[in-house]
Order: sequence, then structure tokens, then C-alpha cells
Amino acid sequence: MLKISNLHATIDGKEILRGLDLEVRAGEVHAIMGPNGSGKSTLAQVLAGRDTYEVTGGSVEYLGHDLLELEPEERARKGVFLAFQYPVEIPGVNNVYMLKAALNARLKAAGDEEMDAMAFMKLVREKMKLMQMDPSFLHRAVNEGFSGGEKKRNEILQMAVLEPKLAVLDETDSGLDIDALKVVAEGVNSLRSPDRAMVLVTHYQRLLDYIEPDYVHVLSGGRIVRSGDKSLALELEARGYDWLQPEAVNA
Amino acid sequence: MSAVLDSLRSAWTEASPTLPGDGARRARALEEFLAAGLPTVREEDWKYTSLKRLDNRTATLPVMPDATAGGALAERLGVQGLDGPRLVFVNGHFVPSASDAGDTRLEIGSLGAALAAGFPHDRLGSVIDLQRYRFAQLNAALFADGAVVRAPRGVVEPRPVYLLFLTLGDEDALPIVQPRIWIEAEAGAELTVIEHHTGERGDALSNVVTEAVAHDNSRITHFRVQEQAPAHIHIAGLNIRLERDARVHSHNIDFGGGLVRNDLHARLVAPGAELTLDGLYFTGGTQHVDNHTRVDHLAPQTRSTEDYRGVLDGQSRAVFNGKVLVAEDAQKIEAHQSNPNLLLNRRCEVDTKPELEIYADDVKCSHGATVGQLDTTALFYLRSRGIDADTARSLLTFAFANDVIGRIGVEPLRERLAAQVLGRLPEGESIRELT
Repeated sequence: MLKISNLHATIDGKEILRGLDLEVRAGEVHAIMGPNGSGKSTLAQVLAGRDTYEVTGGSVEYLGHDLLELEPEERARKGVFLAFQYPVEIPGVNNVYMLKAALNARLKAAGDEEMDAMAFMKLVREKMKLMQMDPSFLHRAVNEGFSGGEKKRNEILQMAVLEPKLAVLDETDSGLDIDALKVVAEGVNSLRSPDRAMVLVTHYQRLLDYIEPDYVHVLSGGRIVRSGDKSLALELEARGYDWLQPEAVNA
Repeated sequence: MSAVLDSLRSAWTEASPTLPGDGARRARALEEFLAAGLPTVREEDWKYTSLKRLDNRTATLPVMPDATAGGALAERLGVQGLDGPRLVFVNGHFVPSASDAGDTRLEIGSLGAALAAGFPHDRLGSVIDLQRYRFAQLNAALFADGAVVRAPRGVVEPRPVYLLFLTLGDEDALPIVQPRIWIEAEAGAELTVIEHHTGERGDALSNVVTEAVAHDNSRITHFRVQEQAPAHIHIAGLNIRLERDARVHSHNIDFGGGLVRNDLHARLVAPGAELTLDGLYFTGGTQHVDNHTRVDHLAPQTRSTEDYRGVLDGQSRAVFNGKVLVAEDAQKIEAHQSNPNLLLNRRCEVDTKPELEIYADDVKCSHGATVGQLDTTALFYLRSRGIDADTARSLLTFAFANDVIGRIGVEPLRERLAAQVLGRLPEGESIRELT
């Protein structure tokens, strides 16, 4: 589904990704771990199309498309979803209507019929229940005044409604207490499916106790320096990232 | 003397016998205006707004319009769906056939009729600092008519009084339209007035003067909505006096006009007075909109909150000067002011200047002015959800403007203004339901 080859990306002239390779197939859950500054969030943002990053080399193929050629909204409509590390507050724009516009943009692009208000509200209420969100969130502005945990839940709510093919979750666990983490993980797990792939970007192993990945990769210095199964995460938890650093330099 | 001042003098000579009220008063006001002349950019208050384009024009005073045409125009350009009294004016003249004072305990009527019935002429101007506002002198000399809206003691009228001022321009001469408005809420009374200035075709200048007095414990909600034609020059003075425990909420909306200058001067003269000033200017093309506001806290325990916002597109230009004065013995007052501006491209320009002059020592004052573009992070967030770039930009722009529009309590007016903002934005229709 997703094939990243030799990806290089810079921000303000500084190279962050330095030849990253990654292949993700439908149905798989990949965890990307790594120390701060290793390029995890850059990868997530580049996949979603943030233009503050400049891709200077390599390619990203997604379902047969050259992903890097697509505008952010085109990527979203083709099923790419990024759950933001810091969801953005947008005063004056209603949370649920924004979501409805997002879903209908996607349905329209796929040639499907747009959803009417009643069917949409039924769907969103159902998903909110899953995320244990109070119905009052329906009427609030996008993320405005939400707590850290509420924002993260709202991201997963959007994901649950939009049903992406490829979901990239950027530090979705950071700043969550254990109860909120469980709710978020449950939401994510309910979305696991054979035709959907997920990339979890995380600094901590804790999230992986609740969302079990098929593969774990360690990102360091802008490249994947080690890949393995979930046991790699446990090893990282025990030994930290330092033991991998020399390998990154030597590679 | 410039051509325009010459033409004003001859217009006066011709029209004065027909103008209502005290002729000698008018003559004095005209002489004072002519002696001072038009403001120039050498004066601090007019530094960014040049009236040079007026110099060589020939001013005329428009005659009474055709009433039938006025009625049709009112239907076409007016705010629909309001349920209160309505007075319609075309080029400054009252059109009774298009108006309906309705069934209300307010005292409402044309100013000409009020003056004829004994409304004291010298009350006009009593709320204005005439030394400061020169165009008020011109209006005092030449106003043909206007409106009086008074709420007697204790009368509460929830329905808005709608004053519709229609302007029809001219291709050659410069018609000068000078509405005069007197608003007064006696003790304990409540009223709402919508001043709507709109029109079409050609060139004209309107010079509007409004005075509003809120007596003890009264409430006035005032709207000034300006949607004049693109060639129009619009000059407006809004002068407000707030007495003890009075509350005034002013909404000042500018969408139209080519050259617009607003002078708002509010005086809070007794404790407990509370003033809210909301403003929105949405400019495009080569429009120039200048808002000068001045709030004088002259008594302790008074409060003012001001939020003027601008959205600029095209090569338009906006000026904001917000002065707050706190007198020496006006302790325990609160004054907050903000002027955020959104520039939709790099060719537009804003000059914004807050001015605080504080002589008391126990006060809470704040001010802030910003000039910026749309938040790129918010834009990306919306696009990453599948919303296209144009819609995302429009959505954020609308949300910014709607902060002011959303505070408008009169629904038909709020809906109309929201629709107008959306009408000026790409993909506006599709985002109507998102807010």
C-alpha cells in the first residue's frame, strides 16, 4: 500500500530525513519509534503533505499514486489520514460540520453519494460513543478549549468517521493519562482491518501495550536503523535508544 | 478656495430657504466649516486618508426623489425580514410612502417633521465635539432631513428601528447627502436602531452625523451598516453619551464605499456606564476604510470593550486609530481594545494605532493590534482532512469575520451580513453550513 524509498526531506535547509525506506502493506500496523529529533514527526507531516518540509529526494508510492505529487486534500480524499501530535484549534469552525465536509469531500472524490445530515449525525454519534466523548463536543469549534486528551480523542473520532486506508498517528499517546490512552487505543484497535494500514509514530513503548504492532522500526538520524517485531519495542524500553546510535552513524 | 468649497457655498445659497430648522444656526455652521476647509493629510487625524479627490468636484444638494422609485429601491436593497418600524430616505430626503413607523411606544419620525413640531434645533450638536469633527459642521449647515428615535422613560422596544438611507449617485456632479440622526433613550428605556447606508450607481458623498444619548440605566443597541456603491465617499460621525449605568452596544460594519471615514466618539460621563464597540471592515479592490474611534472615560467605574476587525483583499487599505482617554478622577475603570487584521494578499495595507491617554492610576486597560495572514497550520489541518485549499481559506476568513457578525442579535441582519461575507469568498456557498 505504501512504499517509501530513499526519502530525503529538509526544513529550513536542514536535512531531517536522510534516505528513509519503509514498506507497509494493507492490514499491517507499523510502529515507528525513535528518540526526539530523529525525524518521526517529519515523516508523518511529509506523508500528509505539509509544505513547510521540502522533499529533496526519494519517492513515496501509495496505492499506485506518486503521493508526493498530490496536494494534502487529494491525499486525504484518497484515504490518507494523519492524526496530529498537536491538533489545531480553529475558533469559529464547528467541529462536526468540519467533519461532515471532510467526509463528503472524500465520498465525492470517490464517486460515492454524499451523506445527508441525518445519516451523518447518526454515524458521528455512534463513533462519539465509542470514543466516550460527550455530545456537547458536536457543537463546539474544532478543538477549541479541548483538553489535551479531548483533542486526541477528537483526532481518533475523525479517523473513525473518515475510515482512511492509511492512518498515520503522530504521538497520539503523548500527554494522555492511562484511562484516556485506553480509550484512544480501543478506538484505534476497533479500526484495525485487513484493508487498512496504520503507522504509529511514538516515542514511548507504552502505547504498544494497548495497540499491538506487527512491525517495529527504529528511526534515528533520519533513517530506519533497525526493524523487527513487537519484541524490539520491549528491548528499546529496557535498553533505551543509545545502543542503536553508533549503528546509525556507521550504516 | 477649492472648487468643491465654492460649489458648497452656492449650493447653500440656493437651498437654504427650503432647509428645515434655524437658518442662522446653519449659516454659522457653514461659515465655520468653510473657514476651516477640508482636512488634509498634514493633519494628524487625517494622515492616512486623503480627501484630495474632492477638491475639483462640483457639489450639489440632491432634490426630493421620486417616491415610487424610492420604494422599489428600498425593497431591493433593504434588509428584509425585520419586524420593527422603518423609515426610508433617498438621497437624504424622507420617503413617507416607503416608511412605516408602526405600532410602537417609541417616538419616531423624520427630523424635518420633528423640527417643525417643536423639537429644539439646539439639541442637535449637543453630543458632538464640534471643534474636532469638522464634517459635523458641514452636516449641521446642510442636512435636508434625518430621523429622530426616542424611547420615553421606561419604554422597552425589543424590535429594531430600521433607518434605511439610500443613495443614488451622479456621473458628473457630486451629490452630497447629509442624513442627521438623533437617538435618545430616556431613563430605564431600551431601543435598537439599525442605520443602513446603501445605494447604487455613480458617485456621491454621504456625510452622516448621528448623536445618541443613553440616559440613566438605559440601553441602546446601534448598528451602522454601510454597503454603498464602489465610487461612493462615505463620511460618518457617531457621537454617543452614556450616563449613569447606561449600556450602549455599537456595531459598525463597512462592506461598501470607495473612500470611507468613520469617527466614533463616545463619552462615558457617569459611573456604571458600559460601552461595547464592535467593528468589521471587509475591503477589496481599491477601497480605503478609515476608522477613528475615541472613548472618553470621564467617570469612575465605567467600562468599555472594543473589537474592531478587518479583512482586506485586493489592493485595499484600512486605517484604525483607537484612542482611549481616562480622566484624572476616573478610577476603577476598565478599557479593553483590540484590532486584529487579516490580509488576504500582499498588496493590501493596514495602518493601525492604539492610543491610550490615562490620567487615573487605578485602572485596567489593555490594547492589542495585529496584522497577519491566515494561520498556515490551521489551513493545513483542514486540507489534511480533505477540504480543498480555497474552501479552507474561506472558512478561516469567515470564522475570523464571524466573530463580530456572530454578536449581532438581530437575526435577519446577522444572516444578511454573514451571507455577504460568504458571497465575497471563494466557495462561500459550500461553507455556509460549516459555521
